[in-house]
Amino acid sequence: MPDIPLVPVALTASIIAGITSLLYLREFFLRKKNARLQQKISLETRQKSIQILNAAEMAETHVISEGNYATQKLISEFKVQLADLMQNSEKSLDSSQEELVKFLAELQRKSEQFQQASSGAIEKRVNQMFEKLESRLADFLVTTEQKTTSSIELELKAARNLIETYKDQQLKLIDENIIAMMEQTLNIVLAKKLSLKDQLDLVYEALEKAKVEKFVA
Amino acid sequence: MDDLLTVILQDTYTLSQFKKRLKILQSYFQQQFFRSLATENLTPRDSQWFKSLPKSFMESFNKDNLSQNLSSLNSKINSTPILTVYLPIDVSDEALDQIGSKVRNLFGENFLLDVKYNPNLIAGCALTWKGIYKDYSLHSRIGERKLAILQSFKKFLR
Repeated sequence: MPDIPLVPVALTASIIAGITSLLYLREFFLRKKNARLQQKISLETRQKSIQILNAAEMAETHVISEGNYATQKLISEFKVQLADLMQNSEKSLDSSQEELVKFLAELQRKSEQFQQASSGAIEKRVNQMFEKLESRLADFLVTTEQKTTSSIELELKAARNLIETYKDQQLKLIDENIIAMMEQTLNIVLAKKLSLKDQLDLVYEALEKAKVEKFVA
Repeated sequence: MDDLLTVILQDTYTLSQFKKRLKILQSYFQQQFFRSLATENLTPRDSQWFKSLPKSFMESFNKDNLSQNLSSLNSKINSTPILTVYLPIDVSDEALDQIGSKVRNLFGENFLLDVKYNPNLIAGCALTWKGIYKDYSLHSRIGERKLAILQSFKKFLR
């Protein structure tokens, strides 16, 4: 380690110390001066503020008094106008009420007239309907009676025809039976009673008839 | 050929008789010519008829023409007029001959009868000629006079 001379160092140190002290003092005085200046400005500011506040209070008082006056004036005007309005409204309401009453009375009158007219029309219509119904009912009854009568007559005719047909069929059947019985009887009797000669004579007779009729050519 | 048919039809009046007699001839000639063993049973009437056949008729058949003659007779009979007669009773061959004879007297020779039995006819007969049926029996007469019979019958019911 090299040897450093002690004197220049001490000298330098003392110079630095001196400069630092000077700077400190300068700063100390500057701050003191600033504090005084600030105090003065603050005082002035407070005074001005008080002045402004006083002026504002005065202005406020003035404004309030003017406002109160205007308000009072407005209230009185409003009251007057309101009273007029109320009076007008009452009048208008009264007239409206009267008109409504009149209108209702008129309406009632018209309604009664309409009711009378409509009840008369309805009565007339109902009477017409009843008359028409009676006439149609009478027609219907007559038609039904005629139809029923003709239907019954037709049924009777059909029944009579059926009976006649049945009777004819039965009589025909009886006739057929009579003929069949007679044929059977003849068959039995003639088979016993007719001789071969008689049978042959009848065959010859039949053949001669065929000859006469030219059935066999 | 017509002579052969005329000879057979001379005493043959019905179709069944004709067919039977043709079989008899066939059987006989087959025995004669070919010594066939098949024989046809002959009734006395058939035997009598067979014996009554003239010699010339029998000589008309020989070995060579037998088949031809028989088939020719068969085909001839198909063209012979056949009158169908419906009778109410079952009559004997003799009675059938009498009826056949009467038919030939009335309508001409070579007529053959096809006899059928119908008891519903009661009496008389019905005929069919060329597909047309006509009833000449008592049954038919009763049918024609049905109304009159019924009216007279109903008089007894009242």
